[in-house]
Amino acid sequence: MKEEKRIYIHPGPVRAWHWLNAAGIIALVITGFQIRYAELLNLMQLKDAITLHNYAGFGVISAYFIWLFYYMSTGKITIYFPDLATFTDKAVRQAKFYGYGIFRGEPNPHVMTPENKFNVLQQKAYLGIMFVLLPAQMISGVFLWKVKGYSDYIYLLGGIRIIDTIHVLFFFFFAAFLVVHCYLATLGHTPLAHFKAMFTGYEEHH
Amino acid sequence: MKKIFPLPSSIGLVVMLACLVSGPFARAAIENSECFGCHNDESLFRSGTDCVNHSRMNEQLYVDEEKFSHSVHHNNGIGCVDCHSDITTLNYKKNVPHKSQLEAVNCAMCHEEESTAFKDSVHMKIRGKGITMTCSACHGYHYVKHQESLSAKERANNSCAKCHNTSRSHDWLPKKNEHFAFVECVVCHVPEAPRHIHLTFFDMMSSKLYSGQEILKILGITEDDFMPMLDMNKDATINVDEFENLELMLRQKNVHAIFHAEMVAEMHAIVHQVNRGAALRDCKTCHSADSPYFKAVTLVLTRDDGQADHYQVDRAVLESFSLRHFYALGGTRMKLLDKIGFLLLAGGCAVVLGHLSVRIVTIPLRRKNEDESKESSLLKEVSR
Repeated sequence: MKEEKRIYIHPGPVRAWHWLNAAGIIALVITGFQIRYAELLNLMQLKDAITLHNYAGFGVISAYFIWLFYYMSTGKITIYFPDLATFTDKAVRQAKFYGYGIFRGEPNPHVMTPENKFNVLQQKAYLGIMFVLLPAQMISGVFLWKVKGYSDYIYLLGGIRIIDTIHVLFFFFFAAFLVVHCYLATLGHTPLAHFKAMFTGYEEHH
Repeated sequence: MKKIFPLPSSIGLVVMLACLVSGPFARAAIENSECFGCHNDESLFRSGTDCVNHSRMNEQLYVDEEKFSHSVHHNNGIGCVDCHSDITTLNYKKNVPHKSQLEAVNCAMCHEEESTAFKDSVHMKIRGKGITMTCSACHGYHYVKHQESLSAKERANNSCAKCHNTSRSHDWLPKKNEHFAFVECVVCHVPEAPRHIHLTFFDMMSSKLYSGQEILKILGITEDDFMPMLDMNKDATINVDEFENLELMLRQKNVHAIFHAEMVAEMHAIVHQVNRGAALRDCKTCHSADSPYFKAVTLVLTRDDGQADHYQVDRAVLESFSLRHFYALGGTRMKLLDKIGFLLLAGGCAVVLGHLSVRIVTIPLRRKNEDESKESSLLKEVSR
């Protein structure tokens, strides 16, 4: 039997942020569908869906600042920035693993450590999500929350239709991402290994 | 354009002759100018009285002739004594040349439909509680104007908001300030009232709405040329392309106007039939893709007298980038975004299902590789 090694990868604040964020995003996706397709879905009253969507939105915004404060104050924010010198080579190797090697049982070319927990594809994806998509979604969401109050900014950005389009497109992206993210989390040494690690903080290395 | 008294001139002449023959000559002879002889004096007041039965505060009897001349009644040839019909003669020998206590004006004499609708409204029913609400409470007395050109907010301020604190009574309504800004009260409170989306021109530079005359002047055309100029395919409806052409024309004239959209009720008698408990509370009525509330869309050229010319607009304009400053959640959503969203979701699910399928199919291969790996490591250990 292979030797099993437990490494503390996900500190408490990161786990708290992750699950708060996860609950918020799931609530936002469900209520988002209800709000956009009120004539097709009947999960809850439209006004309740809007209220819940607003609360969940502010929950995700709060969680974002927990994440930002933790990573900035500890200096660990650098784990989100890929090394450009080795990026292409590592990205090709990682893509080959996900598209071919994983089916043959080959080892993951990226070994997770507390200082380098993301592979380059994760780094690139999360960099875009945490620094562009999520802030854009949060800002557009706040504008849509108080259209009248933020009307000057909305006019400045081209109108409510533009803000809504950004919010809706990113909404669909996050909904699709949620599906893919949950699936990718099953690619550990067992299907539930990464889920378990996000509760305990410890990843098991084989 | 709808007029309150669309009588052909010949019928009007017959009515006038009938009055001359059968009615008191003196009444027909009282001209507005005679009334204004006294009532254009700003210092003209009815004095308060100490009599308990007739106690009242001092009441100003001044009427601004200039403002009255722009009223809908004056514009339709209605004189002072047509409403104050209990004044039949003027006796200038008296201090007050007519009765000092006039009867209340009965608007229903002319506005029969409005009166019928009002009688079946909560505003009539409150008379049972001792509160008398008259037409003038909302419409005022001498300066009544058409309301077609008014914005949703102006309509509210001119009527409902005079008595009702709308902000306090709509706590259940999500985004109530947005609703107040874009939806006229009666759209929800009289769901049977015909309504449409009003599109008016808003100047980004000066933050004010353009009047119809201003827009026509900018375009250098007359009212009669407006639709022929815009409606290129002659279907009497302004479609998305024609709408964008209008915006381009204004830009070429260096006018940065955006289209301001509101949902307002049409000027129909039924808007007076407001009743408790009858208000629309189901959000889905508006906020769904098939909502009937967005079927009628009109571009509006307002007139100085409060009337407005309406030009039919294709509903598709509401669901396009041509109208960037209006969006009703769900109700005017862009179908293109739904298609893109579907592709994103379907793509995500397809990747997951495809990868998962290959993972399942290749389980034997991985087991085999794992076994071989175990065997080779065992052989290595044995050879040592």
